[in-house]
Amino acid sequence: MTENQLVYLYCVTNKEPTLKEAESLVEGLYFIHHKDLYAVAGKVEESEFGEEGLKKNMADLEWVKANANTHEKIIEQVMANADVIPFKFGTLFNTDDSLRAMLEEYSEEFKTILRKLENKQEWGVKIYCDTDKLKESVINNESKILKIEGEIKSSPPGKAFFLEKKKTELLAQEVNRKINEYSQESFQLLEELSFEARINKLLPKEVTEREDDMVLNSAFLVGKNEVGDFINMVDTLKMHYENNGFFIDCTGPWPPYNFCGLSKQKVRNA
Amino acid sequence: MHNVVTKSRDVTLLEVLDRVLDKGVVISGDAVISVADVDLIYLGLKVLLSSVETMEKYRGAPITGPMQEPT
Repeated sequence: MTENQLVYLYCVTNKEPTLKEAESLVEGLYFIHHKDLYAVAGKVEESEFGEEGLKKNMADLEWVKANANTHEKIIEQVMANADVIPFKFGTLFNTDDSLRAMLEEYSEEFKTILRKLENKQEWGVKIYCDTDKLKESVINNESKILKIEGEIKSSPPGKAFFLEKKKTELLAQEVNRKINEYSQESFQLLEELSFEARINKLLPKEVTEREDDMVLNSAFLVGKNEVGDFINMVDTLKMHYENNGFFIDCTGPWPPYNFCGLSKQKVRNA
Repeated sequence: MHNVVTKSRDVTLLEVLDRVLDKGVVISGDAVISVADVDLIYLGLKVLLSSVETMEKYRGAPITGPMQEPT
């Protein structure tokens, strides 16, 4: 290894990885074997991935897109034949020895995580809501709203004005309640079919580039034998909710990014 | 009725970034020299990196309480 190269870690697995397919994605892919664990890594240039280079490149959207995709694809290739622990984008080591030292330090923990992940897959479910469409459905179906609309029609202008204000408030409350109810119910029903479940940060429209609002960002660790049931449940939820302005986006299987947390005391400075 | 879920790269770039940049195992210590410290890329705004504070500002989450991931 020349002096200006670094070691980029993609994932750790407990089965000798076959890198043939993944090698076409990036140059210099290899694995390090240590204590029944295999770390899939690649040699990268320090000018590109060193602290300064990385800082500069993370501001370049095209660079990030390309490299994040490569990161994901390499892990997916390894995942095709083995359970994997995926690492965060940009996990770098000076040398193979420092990567080996990390494997030594965390070996028991990694083995525990890999045992947990056996025969399971990560699935992602994001729910979006078109608030205008939901409002329409609430106006047409909620008895409270229908009642107040009736009162508005039969009231003198002064009273009607205040009732109109009350209706707007009620409507907003009801829309919020429905969003909570639907997303919580969806999450709980899917959670019941999973080993573990996570709720993640909602992403703003600037990120999703969608017209509707994200109302649930969740991830599930599903047994391989239960994936059929899980997807059937997603379809059921779609049938029930999509006419009311909700959109359910289910993707997978993913490397288990959401389910590989290290125990707290091990994560220093994190 | 059984939809086959396929991963189309274009559709799920958001999904990829949401995971690869934000999740995955983070280790710290002497051995590690760098972990990209970034929460998410703002696709719509081109090349702007978001900080946790920015995410908080945009969050306006209708789901509250135990449903929200602690940050």
